[in-house]
Amino acid sequence: MVSTVQNTDVKQKDVGQAVVVAVSFAAVFEAEPGDARSGYRLGVALPLLQVLQKVNERLLEENPAEHQLFDIILITTDSWQQQQSFSIINSTRRHGLEVSRFCFSKEEDFIESLMQNNVQLFLTTDGNEALQATQQGVPSALLDKNLASCPSEQLRVLFCEDAIIQPHAGSTAASKKSAQQSFLAQLGQIRQKFGMFNSPVCFTLVTSRGGKDSCCSTLKSLRALGVSVDEAYCLGGAPRGPFLSLLRPHLLLSDGFTQLDG
Amino acid sequence: MVKMSLDPMQVMSGQVKELKRSPSSNGDTRGSWEEKEEFDPNQLDLTVKPKTVTGRRARKVEGAMFFPKPENAVTVAVSSRVLFRTEREQKVFEQKGVEEYLRYQIEHENEPFAPGPAFAFVKALETVNSRLRELYPQSEELFDIVLVTYNHAHVGIRLINTINHHNLFIERFCMTGGSSPIGYLKAWHTNLYLSADAEKVREALGEGIAAATMFMLEKMTEVSESQLRVAFDGDAVLFSDESERIFKTHGLDKFFEHEKENEDRLLDHGPLKGFLEALGKLQKKFYAKGQRLDCPIRTYLVTARSAASSGIRALKTLRAWGLEIDEALFLAGAPKGPMLEKIRPHIYFDDQMFHVEGAAEMGTIAAHVPYGIAQKYNSQHKMSTGK
Repeated sequence: MVSTVQNTDVKQKDVGQAVVVAVSFAAVFEAEPGDARSGYRLGVALPLLQVLQKVNERLLEENPAEHQLFDIILITTDSWQQQQSFSIINSTRRHGLEVSRFCFSKEEDFIESLMQNNVQLFLTTDGNEALQATQQGVPSALLDKNLASCPSEQLRVLFCEDAIIQPHAGSTAASKKSAQQSFLAQLGQIRQKFGMFNSPVCFTLVTSRGGKDSCCSTLKSLRALGVSVDEAYCLGGAPRGPFLSLLRPHLLLSDGFTQLDG
Repeated sequence: MVKMSLDPMQVMSGQVKELKRSPSSNGDTRGSWEEKEEFDPNQLDLTVKPKTVTGRRARKVEGAMFFPKPENAVTVAVSSRVLFRTEREQKVFEQKGVEEYLRYQIEHENEPFAPGPAFAFVKALETVNSRLRELYPQSEELFDIVLVTYNHAHVGIRLINTINHHNLFIERFCMTGGSSPIGYLKAWHTNLYLSADAEKVREALGEGIAAATMFMLEKMTEVSESQLRVAFDGDAVLFSDESERIFKTHGLDKFFEHEKENEDRLLDHGPLKGFLEALGKLQKKFYAKGQRLDCPIRTYLVTARSAASSGIRALKTLRAWGLEIDEALFLAGAPKGPMLEKIRPHIYFDDQMFHVEGAAEMGTIAAHVPYGIAQKYNSQHKMSTGK
């Protein structure tokens, strides 16, 4: 059973053209210790949500009639949290988050709620959820405290070398591939709306394994999807940790989900 | 002489200043070395043949590719504008702006760039690597060349194509798209950074990384293909600028007096001491295998100090540091150009533009180390920046 509540404070996006990003409730809010009435603390997803909102603002500055915006929805499968739906919606409003819809479902139905809402990217702090979503063909990313945690004017998206799924046998894989690719293509289109300088979106490619030639072919594959990266790092086996702490991405995209090292 | 032209990347990074991330302290939690990437000696082809400069090196299968850990290798970071020549593209940038510049690069993606001032040096590093691999097939103590450019990744494919065209063994790079490369230099444990941008070089020196600015040369004399030759100025390069300060403020007599008085006091170290040290470590690996006479690395000190007097302090300091230098040339103030022309180093480091320009006039590949008191007295730059 899936139920959706619209946030009347926020203008609903054009679902056909928006890039729907679903965030798990637990990634956005952490329960305050002890008393549930005191509301929720903000979780690791906050900087990302704030910067997605900034990108929307910039997109609308460029074109007030823009429909290809990020559409953020909150998903929760925790029945206890659902009882607190009023408090959740209030907390969202209080923190000024531009969440357009709240989706409540049972754990076994959460994939259905992703599908129903046309979700193109699912963000969670729960590895199992990310795995399930990915297996069902919804591109997912795992959020953790190692990602950018400061307010930022620029959305930094990091692609890893396996961000583009190579074809395997099986129809699930094929639909998974096309969902991933269409999401990447949308990101690419959003990037194109800004110039080289002063862009609120920055794409970075990091290849850890393989050498320059595999990095080169990933650059070409991304370009074929319409994604032009701004920065590229070919690590040739060097540990990723020091580079990731310099890059401070908001979002790390790879095949399935990846835990950041160190 | 060609006037120094505006550095396009400086302009770029100036404009993206607000988006530059200040590098957070890195290296605190290094990701664990991915076990499955550790090379398996059974898979690796250990019978590496000596690489000839003209022959095409057989490419190893990627799975068996051998990547040294950055802290074990002697890492040399080069920018794209000193490794290759990109003057035409720079003109496009200056005259038509960045969007057109990037479009031009993509359009010409399959046209490789020509070699730049650091090219011969990089090739020589690879020659040393081949010899090291013969003697120590499993060692990670090699030169590791990393391309560190704040060029935009749009230029990436053209750069990679160019690397392949020239058969360079560069498998690691950072294209920072306008952000400062300094943090990445540290992440790579960089031993030497070569760039066309004096600002970035100064910044690197400030962070304790050996660095030098290179310039486009109108003529380059031929250099050895079998032996890497690196030449260093003494004061403010290998040694600190303390003596040079005396000379600049109080003149030559005072300088001699000071050096005589302090003959037994070691000079403090300069920005390139560490790099000489790294070269020395690799040289010892050849000596250990009985190849002292045939060592593919040779180092030179080319100093205005004089052998009979002020030079003594320099030699004593080197000896106390445990550093050997193969040839020490004390010119007692004579011009360095003719001596360098005889040596034909793949790179010569000097802190004074006057000497760098003089060397370049005779076709020597010279790099400027913008360190110390001499920077206040530098002559007008007459060189064009490398692109």
